[in-house]
Order: sequence, then C-alpha cells, then structure tokens
Amino acid sequence: MADSSIFGERETEFLRELVRQKVEFMVVGLSAAALQGAPVVTQDIDLWFRTLSDPGIERALKKVRGVYVPPTASTGPMFAGRGIELFDIVLRMDGLGGFDEEKKHAIKVPLGRLKVLVLSLERVIASKKAAGREKDKIMLKVLADALIAVRYHERSVSRRTAPRRRKPWHPTHPS
Amino acid sequence: MRISLRKVEYECRQRGLNIGGLLREAAVSRNAFYSLARKDYVVPLSLVRIAERLGVSVSTLLEETDTPVGRMKALAAEAGRISRLYPEVDRDNVRHALLLLSEKPVERLRRALRRGRLFDIR
Repeated sequence: MADSSIFGERETEFLRELVRQKVEFMVVGLSAAALQGAPVVTQDIDLWFRTLSDPGIERALKKVRGVYVPPTASTGPMFAGRGIELFDIVLRMDGLGGFDEEKKHAIKVPLGRLKVLVLSLERVIASKKAAGREKDKIMLKVLADALIAVRYHERSVSRRTAPRRRKPWHPTHPS
Repeated sequence: MRISLRKVEYECRQRGLNIGGLLREAAVSRNAFYSLARKDYVVPLSLVRIAERLGVSVSTLLEETDTPVGRMKALAAEAGRISRLYPEVDRDNVRHALLLLSEKPVERLRRALRRGRLFDIR
C-alpha cells in the first residue's frame, strides 16, 4: 500500500470542498493517467478549472485555510497552504478542445467517498502528444501501453459479467 | 457439501479461539454462521449437480482465488494475452498497469506521487 500521507485528508478535503461548492474542474495530466491505472510518476496534481473566477474556489480555499496566488510575469496562478500546494492550476490544455468539450471525455473516478472528474486516458495522451515536450515524449509509450492494458482489462471484466458478444474486440494501439 | 462444526472448532482450538471469538474477529454474526451451519449444502445446488454428474466431489471443481500467487499468475497471464494481441506493447508496462488496476484509484495516485517525489520528476 502506498504512503497515505502524500495524498491524505487535507488534499481530499480540498477536492471535497470544490465539489461541494459545485466548482467545475477536472484532474488532468499524469495524475489523471495514474488514477486510471497508468504506471507513471508525477510530482503534482493538475486541476483544470473551467474558470478561475468561480467564487466557489475561494470558498473551498477558505475551508482548507489555503490561498490563491495570482499569476506574475514569471509564474502562473498557484494555490498556497498546507495540503493544497500539491495542486497545480491548469487553464488550458495543449491539443485539446475547451473545458466544456473535454468534459464530455472525462470520467468520474472515486477517491474514497468522493467522486472527481478526470480527463480520460485517451485525451491525456492526446494532450501529451500535442505538448511535445521531451518529458512528455518519454511518457507517451508508457501511457499508450497502459491504455491498451486498461481497456483490455475493462473489456475482459465486462465479458465475464455480461452476455456473450459475437464480434471480437480489437482496439488499435494509440501510438 | 456442508460446514463441519467439528472442523471449525478444531481450527479455532489450534488458534486459541472459540467460535464466538472467531465470529467476532471475522465480523460474522452468530445468526449468519449458524444459519449456514444448518444447511445441507453451502455451495450452489447447480454446482453440486455438476459434481455429481462428473462423479467427483465439489471441492475437486473449486480452486483458491485471491491468493498472492494466484493473483500474480492471473496478472502475468493477462499481460501475456495482451502482449500477444499487441506485439508493440511493452509487457512490463502492461503488467504494471494491470497491477495498479487491482488497487483503488487513490492508492494509484499516491504511488505516482510518492515515486515522483522520490525521483524529482517534473
């Protein structure tokens, strides 16, 4: 079992508050991939907000004694405070549509009793391809292989529990 | 095939327990246990019939699930099936992904974060 102190009650509480305040956001990037089963490593959790002007964000921050740090010439907007410095703010995603469009590709993932919206693995791959940074290119192979494994696993689980299908399923490798 | 109270009591004694203590630790109610213990068949009747037709005991048709070795074997077999179907995939990537799928999403995230911090990957 992984160390629970690295994503514990404080972090969960912030996400819970965002959900409670009906803030529109989703987990993106490698954290989204990790939540879906990709064997990746990451240092932070990218949260893509529909808009940063949602007053619910401020209310959620207040609940967890965090603060919003506005962008400067050299840094983007950030959150500060214990338990929330793990979260990075994302306002646009390379190679993807707008928030509302991509929300259609998002899935709900349980984090304990909480469910959060997470960008699908397919769209995480699309964004990493579009970003084209060296560190993204390194991860693409792992993400593509994970996508195959995850979807195959899902199919085999549903095959075990659902009536038989006539046509075999052969997804294409996304690389 | 039914529950043998004698065997349950024997296994309890081996562990310094009585049935009451066992049920408490296993979070099984006395009602649930004794209602099972009263039944002549604790396995589905259809399985009993299949075993009878084959002339074997029901236990012959059962296998342990969810043992660590069983889980790893099943996982390796699934990774093997996927890599045969998709020769371009890296079998280790597939195996690790399948392994993570057996964990809760929050545990998967913690692993990713813990390793990320460890190796300072950004």
